[in-house]
Amino acid sequence: MMWRLVKNELIKISGKRRSFIGFIVIGILMPLILWGFKVGGSQVYREITEQLQENFIVVGSVFNGFLATYIVMNFLWVHIPFLITLVAGDIVAGEGSAGTFRIYLTRPVSRGKILLSKLLATYIYTAALIIFFAIMSLGLGSLWLGTGDLIVFHKGILILPSEIAWMRFALSFIFSIGVMLVVASLCFMFSTMVNNGIGPIIGAMAVIFVGLAVSNLPLDFFEKIRPYFFTTYIDIWKEAFYDPIPWREIGKSILILVIYTAGFLGVSFAVFSRKDILT
Amino acid sequence: MSEVILRIENLTKSFKDRKVVDSLNLEVTEGEVFGFLGPNGAGKSTTIRLILSLIKPDSGDVKIFGKWVTKHRNGSLQNVGALIEEAAFYKNLTARRNLQILVNLGGGTNRRIDEVLEIVRLIDRADDKVKTYSHGMKQRLGIAQALLHNPKLMILDEPTSGLDPHGIKEVRELIKSMSDDGITVFLSSHLLHEVEQSCSTMAIINEGRLVVSGKVKDLLKQTDLFTTEIQAQPIEEAVSVIRQLDFVKIVVVSEESIKVSVSKDDLPNLTTVLVEKGIKVSAIVPRSSLEDFFLSLTVRDDG
Repeated sequence: MMWRLVKNELIKISGKRRSFIGFIVIGILMPLILWGFKVGGSQVYREITEQLQENFIVVGSVFNGFLATYIVMNFLWVHIPFLITLVAGDIVAGEGSAGTFRIYLTRPVSRGKILLSKLLATYIYTAALIIFFAIMSLGLGSLWLGTGDLIVFHKGILILPSEIAWMRFALSFIFSIGVMLVVASLCFMFSTMVNNGIGPIIGAMAVIFVGLAVSNLPLDFFEKIRPYFFTTYIDIWKEAFYDPIPWREIGKSILILVIYTAGFLGVSFAVFSRKDILT
Repeated sequence: MSEVILRIENLTKSFKDRKVVDSLNLEVTEGEVFGFLGPNGAGKSTTIRLILSLIKPDSGDVKIFGKWVTKHRNGSLQNVGALIEEAAFYKNLTARRNLQILVNLGGGTNRRIDEVLEIVRLIDRADDKVKTYSHGMKQRLGIAQALLHNPKLMILDEPTSGLDPHGIKEVRELIKSMSDDGITVFLSSHLLHEVEQSCSTMAIINEGRLVVSGKVKDLLKQTDLFTTEIQAQPIEEAVSVIRQLDFVKIVVVSEESIKVSVSKDDLPNLTTVLVEKGIKVSAIVPRSSLEDFFLSLTVRDDG
């Protein structure tokens, strides 16, 4: 039964143009960026190796698909939540504004099951978008720019051999999916509260921007409250590239993100089960 | 005696400080076409949403097929189909996909999709996106949605709203065919004519309260006289003829028509007499005095 409900939600998602915006943006942007790296890569390569060549003898090219993906992830990471909210914000509120709930919720299926199916569909969409991002960045980058050792900058220069880099990227994308599920849950919560698809997007993005400001601005007051904001852990994906991997910190971050997610979902289910369908 | 399949008990709902439904009690028995009548804003749609558990009552409850909606929502709604106001769809999907979504919710079968599309005469447009449908087609598709799981009780809220005369006729025919198939119909409307034509029993509500309920024919008996507009030439001769008839009372005479009070049974006699006297009758427009009755029951005291 649940799978059929989730299938319904996926059909509805696939019937909306906004669902494809994220895929189209990534599908166009990533090849463009990678092409830019390919044609102008020598300049990037010089800038990176300039520092390295002072201390190391660099053999071959360190500018490869791995490094390109790592750079792209650093640049684009704060923009991905917006693409997620386009669907997560609309999945409940959109039915409210379209009036379709007045038929969908008169069938003998509990509201809890219907909301759960919407949540699972949102999560599937979120995971699919990140996987697509991974394919377009890491997959295409590896094909175009080749693979090799990965240079990352964390407390100095860290060079990860090619065979380890693959695993680190896999871990990094798994963390990314997890973080984006938290963002999706936040937007989903707002979506249960209103009957228009724009409000939840604005609400979720506002929370994320404020949270990122708190998490990144070097102010004393923010220092104290920073650990309690989920946005502090939004770039947990980077920790997959540290050596050794800080599993203890990652575990703590995941715990806080899970608590936030549970809170967002608790509010979502409480609101939706009591909601009067008036549209 | 027919079984009561829908019972509304002391139903009350307020939005902020305004009572929209106020201690409402109603019963609908199996097999009837029940008219739920009231002016705009009387609380009809809110009552229907309460019946369908789309909104929660402040107090009272609704029993459908012996199950209370607030306690056994899923069981009570198992055999209920509904079309609430304007039909709403996933417009970027086809009609068939829209129905498939409801099948996936556990109502009906894939084979039934074709059957209901045949019933509402949309089978040829089944694979077109709903956004290309006219308003009338959407209302018919809404009825198809409601019929999909073979309901025993059909709740229709203003099903002819916004339709042209042809669309209204089609929806009325569908209601009749549902009734012929043994489906109990709960028809909400603010149009007296619609209720009068389609329903066997009716209730009138105003400001959330029940004003009157009963068999339509019994309520009509209470208001036996009909106001009828007659368009005839020459108008003076027609007036003269009508004045000689003791079963007709002239209400108003204008340059083009005469409004008279005449019982439903005597209306054919009036027509015959006028024609026999050589008067050219171009139109006879009956206007039920039920309308006046309705207005007298539901008029707001604005003074």
